[in-house]
Amino acid sequence: MLLPKFEYHEPKTVQEACRIVGELGEKAKVLSGGTDLLVNMKKKLIQPEHVVSLSKIEDLKGIFRENGQVKIGACATAGEIAGSEVIKDTLADVAEAASVLGSPLIRNLATIAGNMTSARPAADLPPSLMAYGAKAKLVKASGERSVDLNDFFTGVGKTVMTPDEILTEIAVEIPQEPYGDHYIKLGVRQALEISLVNVAALILLDGPEGPIKEARIVLGSVAPTPIRALSAETVLAGQVPSDVLFERAGEAAANDSKPIDDFRGSAEYRRDMVGVLTKRALKTALDRATSR
Amino acid sequence: MGKYDVINTRARRLDAPDKATGRAKYVDDICLPGMLFGAMLQSPLPHAEILNIDTSAAKKLPGVKSVVTAEDAGMVKYGVSPARYDETVFCKDKVHYIGDEVAAVAAIDLDTALEAVSLIKVDYEELPAVFTVDEAVAEGAPLIHEDFPRNICGEVHNEFGDVEKAFKECDLIRTDTFKNKRQDAGFLEPNGCIADFDPLGRLTLYSSTQVPHYVQRIVAMVLGLPIGKVRVIKPCIGGGFGPKAGTTPMELIACLLSMKTGKPVKMNYTREQVFLFGRARHQFVHTMTTGVKKDGTLMALKNKCYLEGGAYTSFGIATVYYAGSLLTGPYKLRNMKYDGYRIYTNKPTCGAQRGHGSVISRAAWEQQLDCVAEDLGMDPLEFRLKNVMETGDTTINDLYTSSLGMKECLEAVKTGSTWKEKRGKLPKGKGIGLAGGFFVSGAGYPIYRSDTPHSTVTIKLSDDGGNARVYTASAEIGQGSDTTFAMIAAETLGIPLSDVAVSSGDTDFGVDLGAYSSRQTLMTGHATKRAAENVKAQVLAVLSEQLDIPAEEMDIKKGLIEFRNGNPDFEGLRTRYLKEHRGWTDHPGGDDLTFREAARVAFLEKGPIVGSGAYKPGDLGGKYKGAAVGTSPAYSCSAAVVEVGVDMETGKVTVDNMTDAHDCGFAINRTSVEAQLQGSLSMGLGETLFEEVKFDNKGGILNADFGEYKIPTALDMAPVDTIIVESDEPNGPYGAKEVGEGAILPTIPAILNAVYDAIGVRIWELPLTPERVYMAIKKKKEEQKD
Repeated sequence: MLLPKFEYHEPKTVQEACRIVGELGEKAKVLSGGTDLLVNMKKKLIQPEHVVSLSKIEDLKGIFRENGQVKIGACATAGEIAGSEVIKDTLADVAEAASVLGSPLIRNLATIAGNMTSARPAADLPPSLMAYGAKAKLVKASGERSVDLNDFFTGVGKTVMTPDEILTEIAVEIPQEPYGDHYIKLGVRQALEISLVNVAALILLDGPEGPIKEARIVLGSVAPTPIRALSAETVLAGQVPSDVLFERAGEAAANDSKPIDDFRGSAEYRRDMVGVLTKRALKTALDRATSR
Repeated sequence: MGKYDVINTRARRLDAPDKATGRAKYVDDICLPGMLFGAMLQSPLPHAEILNIDTSAAKKLPGVKSVVTAEDAGMVKYGVSPARYDETVFCKDKVHYIGDEVAAVAAIDLDTALEAVSLIKVDYEELPAVFTVDEAVAEGAPLIHEDFPRNICGEVHNEFGDVEKAFKECDLIRTDTFKNKRQDAGFLEPNGCIADFDPLGRLTLYSSTQVPHYVQRIVAMVLGLPIGKVRVIKPCIGGGFGPKAGTTPMELIACLLSMKTGKPVKMNYTREQVFLFGRARHQFVHTMTTGVKKDGTLMALKNKCYLEGGAYTSFGIATVYYAGSLLTGPYKLRNMKYDGYRIYTNKPTCGAQRGHGSVISRAAWEQQLDCVAEDLGMDPLEFRLKNVMETGDTTINDLYTSSLGMKECLEAVKTGSTWKEKRGKLPKGKGIGLAGGFFVSGAGYPIYRSDTPHSTVTIKLSDDGGNARVYTASAEIGQGSDTTFAMIAAETLGIPLSDVAVSSGDTDFGVDLGAYSSRQTLMTGHATKRAAENVKAQVLAVLSEQLDIPAEEMDIKKGLIEFRNGNPDFEGLRTRYLKEHRGWTDHPGGDDLTFREAARVAFLEKGPIVGSGAYKPGDLGGKYKGAAVGTSPAYSCSAAVVEVGVDMETGKVTVDNMTDAHDCGFAINRTSVEAQLQGSLSMGLGETLFEEVKFDNKGGILNADFGEYKIPTALDMAPVDTIIVESDEPNGPYGAKEVGEGAILPTIPAILNAVYDAIGVRIWELPLTPERVYMAIKKKKEEQKD
């Protein structure tokens, strides 16, 4: 399969990139990694006249911890995120999610910005970032805004972004200790998988021995976008953690999910698995919270 | 060390350095001067009449050199088996599946060729289509090929013994139905080719094929060329596993375009086109009834099978035979009835894949045998041992086993897996399972009726005497056959492996039926051995004249001449060699006469030292209709024990370990034999747990890529404890028989039986995806509640 013809742009600064996408609007697609974009272009599902690569913009690279936040540059690859000590120390399940994305070859190319903006329902990175309330920084020529990832995805392949915007950074507020998290992805094989279901759980405890102050559960691949299991979170809030409680939270999460039948799996199986994975993710998240 | 110097060792593969360093040349690496690029237009509809094809816009596109349709290609029918030639290069009046070829273009580059294809306008009138066996055989269903009522492409009805009578003597009879899913063979290199029709009227086709010989014949027949003007060359190839064992429409189209333009034409399948070409494992639905006596004596099997075959026959007639005929071993089966039907559908064509036709019947039956053993209260391994065949036994359908180490295979995996300590003693969610297998070591007859040798080999010594080169048309497809033949040649000649080179995969090098039905080690191995014996005899004959010593009193070992009665005075020969090689620093020395000196003298006396050998099996098999399918000069057998873990909450199965024993007669290259056993797990594991070609309701493939069609990754593989059983096959070269395909037969049922052991539920449908396993567990839990 061959790529269709297009004009290629390689801006060196965010400003220049914003100017280009601002001028071209719908005619341009932003390339950051390309593990989705180029495949879809080869399949002729999309044929943009212009492709704007972010790969030469130095400001979009790197992962930093500053002022109680973790900042992940748009061009950080899944491989870099999976190996980042900063992320492993603070947002363990984000590193976990990055480490099970695709294969080593894909992880060396795929970026966090690409994984967000392609907005696939089964994407690996959004659930754990949503659990942490991560914010996407969207920049355009005339200004910038910050959008909570929980409000970012609007449908399959759709986000709140406008064609003149570029996602430059994901910022995560590091929660107050003690907290713990876990991400689980279920596919049929051990690697190179598109999740049948994935679940991210985050537990914030009220003191080391304390009850659950707040829990956040995000489900992937069971709705057009990753979704919060809000009734499961309600089940957990203020409660003393236990296996029975997690089982109940799992059932609530299963009810929160809205899976469909498709060729990868049935809705019934996915719903049941939301329950199992939620329970398991919560158990590990609790273990991590109490061992911090 | 045994009696051999080269064979039965662990030789490094001849192709390994090139493949590891990127030096190896595959078809797509080849670039010829003036080469054009071809692209095909394929049907977007599963079943439709072609009303009109308008190529005028495509022809006008700058850079387009030729646009061809059925008008240009003609309507010569071809296929795999001459009895069922049902394909043409292009469709003329109607298309039979999504992917059927309608037209093609050659242009100066691929972009232009693809653009031109998009400019070809075809008017279709859609016809009703059938996608399943049930739809296809239904009363009044549309016919895909007019001459085949109810879309039955082929059927087989055999009975050996008297099944109904035997059932009356049985204490236990059970019936089960099992089904698998269509496979893709998952080879990494999509089919590709370059056709080069030269100004002297000779056609050379470079192609990623398993069978240069058959491709040569089909190309010549379809395009109306003398066979001698067609040469097929197989460069390095990235896997085959069966689907590359026939001729592709693309090969014929590239040849046609090259003949039209007088330029070389390169074509490649995309991954999606590999799926559309298909020719991998069929979907089988087997209903089997097995009867036994209380003491475990296996009495009778009734086997009914439907194969969903797709739009054309390909290997399908052989497939439907194999699905019955190979169950008669390796256990003594006294009565067997088989009714098999291969059905046409408006889907891509199925064909042969590793273990051709016999893999799913084997999986079904080995799982049923475990059920029977359980019903009898017998250990499944002891049950199999009770019925095991031995060397010299003939099956009820006249297959003679000149060697059969099945008992040894079973005993080996029993010990190797610590079966007794584990069976029945593992915790819930952990399981251990066993199965056996039986396979041909090369189909006994060519695909077309002929007395041709199955393989010819020529060995030529370099004129300096230092090296031997083996010329063979056999197909190294990654299985290691070149290395095997180099080892056989080196052993037979009595020289080191490093002094043997192999040129293979070229129809100019001889006749070889190719890499299918696990034939090459036995067939080409024999021809290589005979050619090497011939060369050795020529060298020794000259020495005999020169030294006046009878040839019978000399031998060649490790590159040196051995004289039975001690070394004679050979100074004259050595001086003659040294005189010719002033300035060289590697003169032969030492107390013994070297092969190099002897072979050089032979060249000086006789000219080029060239020897050839040929092999063809003798008359094989019974006299009944279809008796030829399943015949072979030798039969391999195997046993595997697999251990699995099952996540009881998600249904996800993990294979933890496999102990695998295979009787290959005699291992020429021990490493290659073991690699086949390991490969059988990776391929069998994928087929058991993940793989399924999925379709929408219009005959379109939903997962024609390796993102969605899931073959195992390295992380899915488990350790394999490989055990080589050597039964010394009298019909094999040095006692060798096959391992390539037979090794996969026990893999799938061993996993099935292990999963049952882990979860307590039998699953009769592949693949065992987490969902299918979970649903089976859930259903059982719900039944227990009621």
